[in-house]
Amino acid sequence: MQIRSPGVWACVALAVAAVLFALLATNPYHASLVVWILTNAVLAAALRFVLQIGELNIATAAFFGVGAYTTSICAVLLGWPFWLTLLLAPLVAALLSALFGWVTLRTKGPYFLLVSFAFTEVVRLIYTQINVIGGNSGLVGMFPPMAIDAHYPAFAAALLAAALFALYGVERSDLGRLFKAIRNNDAIPRSVGLNVVFLKVLCVVIAAAAVGLAGGLHAYANNVIAPSDFSYFVAILALAYVKIGGEGHPMGPVVGAAVLTLVGQRVAGISAWENIFYGAVIVVALLAFPGGLIGLAGRVRGLVRGGAR
Amino acid sequence: MHGRSHSQSGMRRPGPVRLLGLAALSILLAQGAAAQETLKLGISAPMSGAAATWGLGMEWAAEQAAERINAEGGLSAGGETYMLDIVAYDNKYSATEGARAAQTMLSRDGVKFVVGAIGTAPVRAMQALTERQGVILFNTAWGKSVKGPDFPYTFTQMNTPFEILEPFYTFVKEQHPDVKTAVLISPNDATGQELEPLAIETWKSLGVEMLASDWYERGTTEFQPIATKIASLDPDVVDFSAAPPGDVGAILKELDVLGWDGVKVMSAGTSVDALTAVAGEAAEDAYLGASADFDGPTATEVQRELNAGAREAIGEPLNGITISSYDAVMALQAAIKAADSVDPAKVKDALPTVRFESSYGPSGFGGEALYGYPQQMLLPVIVTQVKDGKPVELTRTNPAELEALLNK
Amino acid sequence: MEVFVQLLANTLQIGSVYVLFALGLTLIFGVMKIVNFAHGAFFTAAALVVTSVMPFATATLGLSLPASYLLAAIAAFAVVLCIGAVVFSFGFQYVLKDLNGSFILSIGLLLVLNGIYLAIYGGAPRSVPQVLPDTINIFGARLTEQRLALVIIAIVVTGGLYLLIERTRLGLALRAVAQDQEAAMLQGMPYRRVALSGFLIGAALAACAGVLMAPINAVTTVSGDEFLIKAFIIIIIGGLGSVAGAIVGGLFIGMVESVGGYFFDPSTATLAMFILVIAFLLVRPQGILGNAD
Repeated sequence: MQIRSPGVWACVALAVAAVLFALLATNPYHASLVVWILTNAVLAAALRFVLQIGELNIATAAFFGVGAYTTSICAVLLGWPFWLTLLLAPLVAALLSALFGWVTLRTKGPYFLLVSFAFTEVVRLIYTQINVIGGNSGLVGMFPPMAIDAHYPAFAAALLAAALFALYGVERSDLGRLFKAIRNNDAIPRSVGLNVVFLKVLCVVIAAAAVGLAGGLHAYANNVIAPSDFSYFVAILALAYVKIGGEGHPMGPVVGAAVLTLVGQRVAGISAWENIFYGAVIVVALLAFPGGLIGLAGRVRGLVRGGAR
Repeated sequence: MHGRSHSQSGMRRPGPVRLLGLAALSILLAQGAAAQETLKLGISAPMSGAAATWGLGMEWAAEQAAERINAEGGLSAGGETYMLDIVAYDNKYSATEGARAAQTMLSRDGVKFVVGAIGTAPVRAMQALTERQGVILFNTAWGKSVKGPDFPYTFTQMNTPFEILEPFYTFVKEQHPDVKTAVLISPNDATGQELEPLAIETWKSLGVEMLASDWYERGTTEFQPIATKIASLDPDVVDFSAAPPGDVGAILKELDVLGWDGVKVMSAGTSVDALTAVAGEAAEDAYLGASADFDGPTATEVQRELNAGAREAIGEPLNGITISSYDAVMALQAAIKAADSVDPAKVKDALPTVRFESSYGPSGFGGEALYGYPQQMLLPVIVTQVKDGKPVELTRTNPAELEALLNK
Repeated sequence: MEVFVQLLANTLQIGSVYVLFALGLTLIFGVMKIVNFAHGAFFTAAALVVTSVMPFATATLGLSLPASYLLAAIAAFAVVLCIGAVVFSFGFQYVLKDLNGSFILSIGLLLVLNGIYLAIYGGAPRSVPQVLPDTINIFGARLTEQRLALVIIAIVVTGGLYLLIERTRLGLALRAVAQDQEAAMLQGMPYRRVALSGFLIGAALAACAGVLMAPINAVTTVSGDEFLIKAFIIIIIGGLGSVAGAIVGGLFIGMVESVGGYFFDPSTATLAMFILVIAFLLVRPQGILGNAD
């Protein structure tokens, strides 16, 4: 486990390629596409990160919104410098998630799922009620500084990829093994004197910091944010990415986000069929390929190797 | 001839070199096709979910305008002839999807003219890109915030509350001179929030006191509480502001049960069909500020034709929002002719002074006094009333600016 | 005084639909341990079927209004039970007791079903005439006979469900499975069959709410989803899997909406509802009547 597998270097190469592509793409649409995919990948990876302790955290969507709103409020209303606004996004999201986790992580399973769902709706409704932050219209005019404006997609892609690696790093660390131990049975870690609630909160906070950063980057990439962008549905799509890509593997969320985002671009605009398509993909993936695309690839590779032997 | 022999031999023996040649040929052919010059006109509107009918209606109306122009041989400018092609994108009524639709439309598909955009949040998302990239954006957003000299590429394609409310409320007050009190019900969304202060102020200027201004969430299913509150306040007027017709219908139905019977006003009311489908007789006599009877005697020939076609093609009549893409295409046609160019920078300079034939009749742009830039399409304000479940046009008045323009 | 009677009437009208809806959701959770995000789709299907069968029955078959409503109700139940059986046998039975897996499956199903409804019916709201349109006055509260009938039917159905769970063999099996599935299986209970029964009863309750609401509210292809979020709140308050909790929670949320909407405004009432839930969980994480896990 301690030895870096060649897979990690392949992932680094992939991330560098993605950033280079965003940097060199002549068509801004293609560069934006890289940012969308990586944003969705971070959302999905963060959701999967909390799934390590066995909880489905719908509030991932809320912390994404908190990051985006923090950055936008600091940039548009307060006029603070770009770097500071981006730094504050993960910090505020982490802080709020610590509070949220401390209160709600005494529940688990279906209760935690539903509470995180209610929390996401509360946060969204609160945005709509505050006139200073634009109410339902949201905030507009978050532009990256001129110096990096042209290369913003590459910049965002690099930070998002870094967030993905950070999540992976924690997962592989001793802390990550503790998280997994909680999932399996939280009585055992408790019996050896570990503070289980503290560990659970820490897990939620780390994931929230990652999506908070993604939210801040999203605000600058999109130039506009509104409350309706941060409904529980964001987390549901993220869950779809995790399931399609494969929950068992750290690359699963990335693969799922890439595939569904790209395919989504193709089916966009055909109304009813878009829903049917997404729904059918989720249902089929869940029932036919429980390991997701990564699991499927693993099985295929296993078959090929078995045949060669 | 040369090309044909290539492709035939290529089919028999598809070697890599021949395939390459085939690919090169197809690129050449594709460029040959592009030489016929197609001008893509974009639409960003909800094409799925509850508001899907708006997007579908708007796309259909724009296509009719494009077909008419194409049938006359297309649009000529700078010595070239352009055929119009409508491409519609689903903005799902949200800022994020609006921004994505805009990026896809502008960057991937190279759209330079947007002839219809619905939803304040997605329009603002789109505007952040269109103004920076110099793309013309026709939209139906109601906020003052999308207008002004800072946004010279942005044009509003339908009447907004700033055009409608004053003449509309004045007309209603003339019909019912003794109304003294009102209650305002607004959906908690961008349009509702833009409209509320203006509605309160305008009613006040007419001597009508606002007893309460209440909000409800989109997606509310039960309206008895709000109806009970209204009935107990017993106002002379209930103004439903920007509430969608389905919700207004539900509230009217409950009010009818509770025995309230006063003046019903929907300043942003567009669709009588949806209203009466829900409220039935309880919708009788309601005044609508943004609807129009495109079948009625005051409608123009073009509007009657379009409306009949829309009923057949998409199962819905048109309304003030959906027909606006037709008017935008017509305005654009006139501006491109005037500029003799399809360069958006030149077209945007031509638009404020251009005269064109909208579906309502002759029109132009104005609103400089109010917004600081002449980017508001000048259209008649139409007041309709529900009579026997059908919209009946009571008045169709041209704003003073349009009258002045027509008499020039 | 009159206002309070009216508010009470409003609470009952709103609450009774919520109770029916939440009962189905909580029953399915109790038996199968799944949070069914697609529950609203059952409601929507029933309401949509009513809006297409009723005009056909009155116009083409020449039936009277009550008879065509009855026919439409039967058709609606048939359609919903079919959908329920299909999604159970091709989907849910493979993810029983897998909370996250079944949740995502139900989301996928919801998207598919909503897409199909939209493809068939389009986005415009649909409505049917009320069977009992007259307004009556009870102690100063005014409501339509249709609404009154809804409240009465909801009470009868809820009572019937209670009897079914408490007094019948099927009810015993449902309770046993909900309490301890493994012990129930050891005693020879056919778990899959019991789960299917529980699932279909839950679907039928949603269909019942849909049939009752169709003549009252306009029906769109997402009508049911709007009840879902409220129902989630109700079952958190009442305790997941608790039948009595769903009843109490449903009436409580009906009251918050009715009273809050009257004294403040509906938007504030909605926000208050969510905040109440979170506050509630601080004090009692397992709901009013739920058992601690």
